[in-house]
Amino acid sequence: MEILYFIVIFLFCLGIYTIISQKNLIKIVIGFTIVESSLILLLILVGYKPGGTAPILDKVYQIVVDPISQALALTSIVIGGSVTAVMLMLVIKIQKRYGTLNIDKIRKLHG
Amino acid sequence: MIRINEMFKKLYKISLVVLLAIFLLYVFNEIHDLASKSYLSEHYISKGVQETGAINLVTSVLYDYRSFDTLGEATVILTASAILAFLVPLRKVAMHGTKFLIIVHQTMIFIVPYLAVLGSYLILFGHLNPGGGFVGGVVLALIPIVMTITYCIEFSEYKFKPNIKTLLEDLGSICFIILGLFGIVTGSNFLASGQSNLGLGNPGELISGGLILCLNIIIGIKVGAGMAKIFNSLIKGE
Repeated sequence: MEILYFIVIFLFCLGIYTIISQKNLIKIVIGFTIVESSLILLLILVGYKPGGTAPILDKVYQIVVDPISQALALTSIVIGGSVTAVMLMLVIKIQKRYGTLNIDKIRKLHG
Repeated sequence: MIRINEMFKKLYKISLVVLLAIFLLYVFNEIHDLASKSYLSEHYISKGVQETGAINLVTSVLYDYRSFDTLGEATVILTASAILAFLVPLRKVAMHGTKFLIIVHQTMIFIVPYLAVLGSYLILFGHLNPGGGFVGGVVLALIPIVMTITYCIEFSEYKFKPNIKTLLEDLGSICFIILGLFGIVTGSNFLASGQSNLGLGNPGELISGGLILCLNIIIGIKVGAGMAKIFNSLIKGE
């Protein structure tokens, strides 16, 4: 239980480090995706109870995990997928226009 | 000199990230017993099945208690696919097809019906089993994606026309709002299915749960069309 929180923190910081240190645009998009998946893991962890079953009540269960955070995780997955698609499309457009994916060279071309 | 400068920059970034990690550790130390005090989820778990008629509580939260969230999600997918279709010319095809062996072609012919059955099952039984409109829609969208990769984009667009996909996606959004107005007609709020006088049926049967089954089908078709459109736009953009 505690170790999983450490994994969430490690993944989040790894994604942030990828975003601020890499020069390639595709790698920056990958960093955004890592941050997103760490947040989804956090949402699932907040709703977890030790020994709980999935929130499908076809019988009577004693301990059931929190359904709200799972629904919010589904929302976050869908929105993350759409935003990643838009980011990739913009990267394709930039590559077509400038011929490179390095952000330093793109910045040198225009001011 | 330049090398020392580069090293200093790298050290600066690493120390920033380590400071962020220490801050997050402090925050998580405060909130980690959050799950023991959630009264709202206790109410959903004890009363949710009687109030909404769906035994999958995630579906009942997604399509009954928080339907506005789902409307927002659907709008986000619609907006994303609209942006992608706007950035890419719809007619132009620039994909270089890869030649596969006949084994791959025959295997795809076998796989496609199973994908269709699995997607329809996930959509129709979304209020009884794990699954739902979003998951089933993505599984249904795998069929055009697999056709695009295996054969070529012309064949995929001949089987599933882009105009029809756009029409399905727009119809999905409009039907969602019309079904929401149905809640007002039966004497309750916008997008209400549990509180309106619809008749929920027996929990655990296929036809039960009021509006949830219809909303699942609409969201499934809409997400499937949207995902197929997004993938084809990304492929054409190269």
